Amino acid sequence: MKARMDDGTSQYYFTASMDSGKTLCSLLKAIQFQESAVFCAMQEGLKLTVEEGKCVQASAYVPSDNFTEYHVRDDVDVIFKISIAVLTECLNIFGSAEESSLKMYYRCEGSPLLLVLQPQSFSNVMTDCEIATQTADSLLELRDEDTSEVAKLVLKAPAFLGLLADLEKSCDVMEMHLSPEHPNVSIVTYGMQDRSCIDMPKSSDMVQSFSCEEAVTLKYQLQHIRLIMKALAVSSKVVLRCSSNGLLLLQLKLEKEDQRQMFSEFYIVPLLDD
Amino acid sequence: MKFRAVMMDSSPMREFANIVSTISKLSKECILRLSSDQLYFIVSEENNGPAPPILWCEVPQALFFSEYQIVGVDDEHKDIYLGIISANLSKSLVTLKTAKSLKMKLTKKQCPCLTLEIDLPSITMQQSRLVTHDVPVIVIPRKLWTEFHEPRVPRPDISIELPSLKQLRTTIDRMKTMSPEVVLRASAEGRLTLQIKTDLAKVSTRFRDLRVEAFEGPIDHSDSESESQINEDVSRVCYCRVDAKKFSMFLSADNISHNRTICSIVHKKLVTLCLQTEENVKLQCFITGIVY
Repeated sequence: MKARMDDGTSQYYFTASMDSGKTLCSLLKAIQFQESAVFCAMQEGLKLTVEEGKCVQASAYVPSDNFTEYHVRDDVDVIFKISIAVLTECLNIFGSAEESSLKMYYRCEGSPLLLVLQPQSFSNVMTDCEIATQTADSLLELRDEDTSEVAKLVLKAPAFLGLLADLEKSCDVMEMHLSPEHPNVSIVTYGMQDRSCIDMPKSSDMVQSFSCEEAVTLKYQLQHIRLIMKALAVSSKVVLRCSSNGLLLLQLKLEKEDQRQMFSEFYIVPLLDD
Repeated sequence: MKFRAVMMDSSPMREFANIVSTISKLSKECILRLSSDQLYFIVSEENNGPAPPILWCEVPQALFFSEYQIVGVDDEHKDIYLGIISANLSKSLVTLKTAKSLKMKLTKKQCPCLTLEIDLPSITMQQSRLVTHDVPVIVIPRKLWTEFHEPRVPRPDISIELPSLKQLRTTIDRMKTMSPEVVLRASAEGRLTLQIKTDLAKVSTRFRDLRVEAFEGPIDHSDSESESQINEDVSRVCYCRVDAKKFSMFLSADNISHNRTICSIVHKKLVTLCLQTEENVKLQCFITGIVY
């Protein structure tokens, strides 16, 4: 039998509960492009990270104030590998139309992650899940303290999603020209026969802020950029940061009805000139 | 051999279209057996040779038809058995939801057909439109009738009312993505558990306070290492492992407005799902248990 949340939680490495797991589920689905994720519970909040090759690292971050109860033991590291596909299916077990309360328990290293879900509109049903955990693989350390930031843009997420959706899907490479001069941002893709270009001056409605000291051209694999589209679809705002080594960091903010926020973050490694 | 029937009321017509559409989702082909008091839709497992039906649906004709005439081959064989592609029938009946009347008859065109004449109201004009569909059928010879008898099932160990089919289907469909098999566990205390177990996860959805129609315990668990919840008398619990896809398919019947759905379990061997409507339509599905 499961221990109740209020008694003896200290014997667990990690316990948490929230009134509705729906937003968490849509956030996790936004980064679910790999089978497994690294699950890490810290004092400040919960973070799940997936990696695509050694090129893209995506995280979902849920600050602890999103939970009605949140407890992590401070003398241990709560980090493990888990199937994110199974986790999202479990969170969605009563369907996306249903709001279900969620409780999470993790007893100790090697034990499964326990979830207890209860829908708000039916009282005679509950689901409990035991999801297997494994030792976490080490994650890429992409952030480099020695490099400086060369450009920072704040954009409206729905508009940026629309822009990415307009790009030709068959293209491999996306070029991004950033400059203090007009048109500030231009995004270029090369197809079989053609070159297409989208200009986005800083006066555009979708640009909320723009800073760039000197012109820079960066190249990324378009399919890597496309991985952020699901996350854009559930977010309100996105911050793009380019560092001098070309690494692109996208920070997306998802606002909930209750004014709390959840985030997703993508690091994308640039293509180098050959 | 003769068959002619007329339907005039809108609610039975809508219901009939729903029943046929559900059957077409469950199977490509079905047998339509016509008898003097009932229509039967019968589905056998595909590509499996002669096997007892997995779906058995009874529609009492008196509540649906205002006119109903049937003449069999002879006095010994009063019924008519027709093989039909279920989608053909269901597509022809789509317009039935707004129709004024439906006439069904057995005709001989280039091949034997079930001819459906649907009288549709026209929005702009006073006149109505008459749409005729000829659905090709195969007349099943008498010597094969025995294959389509109602399956004789052993007495179930438990019969329990199912919760909302829609809710159940959502849950099963999530489970189906994780595991091809699901274990149904029902207790005499009115609890029903759906459980999947894989290397990655064990997921159990528990319903409680369900009505138990019948219980024939105690259940013998001596040959299995079945796990149970604490405080539960295992002799009052039976279970059966079934194909999640088949179970989910039956649950798509939730578009038929039904009174109740009963799940009967023969411990470890068979799950029978039976849906009943106000018009006394009975839709039964037989899912055999998976035993290792």
